[in-house]
Amino acid sequence: MAAQARSIRLQLWQALGSVRTGIILLILSGLAVMAGTLILQRPITEPAKLHQVYSPDTLRLLDALRLTDVFHSWWFVLLLSLLSANIVVASIERFPAAWRYFSHPARRAEPHFFASLAMKKAIPLRSSRLDMGRVELAFHRAGWKPQYVGDDRGSVSLYAERFRIARLAPFVVHASLLLILAGGIIDGIFGYKGFISLGQNESTNQLELRDGTHKTLPFAIRCDGAGQENYADGTPKRWWSRLTVLENGRTVQRKEIVVNDPLTYRGLRFYQASYGATGEVAGVKLQATSKGSGAKQELWLKLDEAVPLDKDATVRITQFVPDFVVVENHIESRSDQPNNPAVQISVQSAKVGENKIWLFPKFPEFTHANNTGFDFRVEHVQMGYFTGLEVSHEPGQWAVWAGVILMGAALALVFYFVHVRLWALPVDDGQGRLTLWLGASASKNREDFEHKFHGLVDAVEQELKTQGSAAKLQRAELMVVK
Amino acid sequence: MSRVRVMEQRPAAPATPSGNLLLGLVALGTVFMLLMGLLGTIKTGVIFNEANLLFAALTFYAASTVLYIGFAVTGTERFVRSAWLATWAGFISNTLAGAHRWYTAGHAPFSSVYEMLLAFIWAVAALTLFLQRKYGVKVIGTITMPVAVLGVVLMQLLPSEVRPLVPALQSFWLHIHVVLAMLSYAACAVSFALAMMFLIQDKMRTESFLANSSALVALVYVGALSRFADGGLKVVARNPETGGDLMIQRGMPLMVIIPDLGWLFAIVLVALLAPLALYAWAVWKHDDRGLAWANRAFVIALVLQVLATAAFVLRVRGGLYASPMVEGFFPTALANSPFILAGLLSGLLASVLYLMLSWRREGLQQMLPSADTLDRLTYKTIGVAFPLLTLMIAAGAYWANQTWGSYWGWDPKETAALVTWLVYAGYLHMRIARGWRGRRAAYFAVLGFAVVMFTFFGVTYLLPGLHAYA
Repeated sequence: MAAQARSIRLQLWQALGSVRTGIILLILSGLAVMAGTLILQRPITEPAKLHQVYSPDTLRLLDALRLTDVFHSWWFVLLLSLLSANIVVASIERFPAAWRYFSHPARRAEPHFFASLAMKKAIPLRSSRLDMGRVELAFHRAGWKPQYVGDDRGSVSLYAERFRIARLAPFVVHASLLLILAGGIIDGIFGYKGFISLGQNESTNQLELRDGTHKTLPFAIRCDGAGQENYADGTPKRWWSRLTVLENGRTVQRKEIVVNDPLTYRGLRFYQASYGATGEVAGVKLQATSKGSGAKQELWLKLDEAVPLDKDATVRITQFVPDFVVVENHIESRSDQPNNPAVQISVQSAKVGENKIWLFPKFPEFTHANNTGFDFRVEHVQMGYFTGLEVSHEPGQWAVWAGVILMGAALALVFYFVHVRLWALPVDDGQGRLTLWLGASASKNREDFEHKFHGLVDAVEQELKTQGSAAKLQRAELMVVK
Repeated sequence: MSRVRVMEQRPAAPATPSGNLLLGLVALGTVFMLLMGLLGTIKTGVIFNEANLLFAALTFYAASTVLYIGFAVTGTERFVRSAWLATWAGFISNTLAGAHRWYTAGHAPFSSVYEMLLAFIWAVAALTLFLQRKYGVKVIGTITMPVAVLGVVLMQLLPSEVRPLVPALQSFWLHIHVVLAMLSYAACAVSFALAMMFLIQDKMRTESFLANSSALVALVYVGALSRFADGGLKVVARNPETGGDLMIQRGMPLMVIIPDLGWLFAIVLVALLAPLALYAWAVWKHDDRGLAWANRAFVIALVLQVLATAAFVLRVRGGLYASPMVEGFFPTALANSPFILAGLLSGLLASVLYLMLSWRREGLQQMLPSADTLDRLTYKTIGVAFPLLTLMIAAGAYWANQTWGSYWGWDPKETAALVTWLVYAGYLHMRIARGWRGRRAAYFAVLGFAVVMFTFFGVTYLLPGLHAYA
């Protein structure tokens, strides 16, 4: 019984780690993601839209199968978990063999190992002597750095290899995938996203989260200014906000953020997400010219804020209409855009009492006479605006980026670096004659490597032929010495 | 020596008299087109601008398409040499057109579908040249060059004006993202072509190709028929002032119905399903007569396809049509339905390629590299495409993270790219699994490219359509 249970467990383990299981899981994940692409998804799509596109019955069925929120459904999570388990088990199964390749390279090739090589060549030698230095030279000329390998019987062979690390690259690819998934899981559990809307000089430490709840930040953020710049044709070119981070009322960081360049503080990132006019006036620059002296002064007015004009008169804005129009004797605004702004100011004077005057910045000549002793002119209307900030906290993103970089590097290793090994082994045929065995193996793309190997074989044969003359030369020299 | 080299040394088929005829016709056609283009430039006095360079690229790519197809059908070696030159000329014009656009826009041309197509076609041509040069795969142009021609034709229909970059697009990472996308998609296109050739060499039955081609083209018509309305076909109306789409409001174009076209498309769809049904019947009953009938039905379907395409082009170009949304009659133009047109033309192309195969299968098999070589080349091309695809998704995620505050939002474009990645990951593991390499892996390479096309065009143009008009 126990043996049977163990064999079932073993079978399960092997099935979980097999390539076929991996492929099937890949296909299933592909189908699931495709379903999530083709079927409208709940978190992104408005409920009204879903009801418009799908009939009630279809929608009920899709909801029951979690097909309207595939990527947060239990079965998609299960699928990803199985895929991860497949990767882990397959890696555990295969890693020891790969590690042996890596840590104990077969530097010495025995004859029976040679027989199993796909690329090999036997070069018969005439003599019983072989200058391995010649072979080494041929290896060097072909761009290899061989090493001598001796054994206890005193024979010497050559071994050369390249990119042994490529054997481990597939494991790194799969580990990096798990790292990316881990980063995603960390963000799914500990991360959050929210929104902040700020007017000029407003500050807040309240973050409105996606689900509608609020989160209090340990610091406050203030908007010191925001704006939009346009291209000549009116399309937006740049949105910006000047932000200040305040901790206990103290400024700790300032930054002008634009789209694509957020502010980061304590792991929270603040993105420029939206920008718009509130339809309210933020300030008006008023030029007042004294009728008596002709002296000019410029005043910055805000709504309902009295500003002294001279020693016994003050001026303030009482009404502001961004897009002035009169409909049936009523003043109305056609829009929130300052297309035709109208400012009503009130001058409170100790001598002449209150005077209300309408000013039209676009039509400066269109003003009523007044007896305040001043002529008024609106120089500039500053509209109120808000800046929308997307806020996100993603503590796991470093794992994601590390995984991505690791994966890129490891994929390059997998596809473009082949572990190639070369052996040169002199074998005595028992009759006093030597045969030089040359062999090679490539972890993949053997066909491409084959002609390089043949080139090396040619080079070694060539070199060994010249060895004959070199040896003669040596003997001749020896003779001379005698 | 590797097998590739051996293949190159095979003596060329003897040139037939028709070889000279085709070469002469193509040369004449090219010169004629270029002269016409030149005459057109006399008025403006500008020869080197983007439009002219693109026109030249189109001319050369079309010439090379004709020559490659001529080579595939007759096996005349001289065609390949001329096709090689024509492809080079097209590639150079294409490069110059891109450079000119970059120079005048002041930013890299990767921000609209038009500009992405420019880069995609460029990469396809470059890979075609590379594969022919390095590995001696001569027939590859027969599949990739028509794709290039289709792309340039499609570009003529898309809005091409240089637009200033809106803030979200002003990102270094976006450019990296798009460059990687176009390179990997082009590699996917080439791997698709290689996988198809592998299937031919792997003795896949010609009738299986028949079933697949008719299924593929039927899918095009199913996609087009998602716009079916009251027997007509809903298309986007043309704005007479700008020439672009007529919009009711932001993101919502005005649709008009071209009457009767819907029925015509439905008939074509039925005609395309007929060979499929006959094929299924023949396989089930082991009856070869069914296959012969399926082939005949396919030819009929092709004729109907030609009719439907012609009717679509003629009716879209002329006439005013009623809209279900607003009262009144509005014009439309081919430029407002670029993806329906591209689908129809691809359908025609796939059908013609199948007929070519069924007609000249044995000749083709002699010209193609061995199944083994093709299998290895497919793997190598995907070995280029897959890392690029991975980095493309990563760069896109990084850009999204910089712009919107999250690196992954499960939006349709992202998920479709993920499907592509999963399919190619499946392909790579297929090659490791014992007994699953070869033909099954090739199916994955074919499927992968289909998903790539869906991600590139489908998500942008079909999905919003599907969701808005369903």
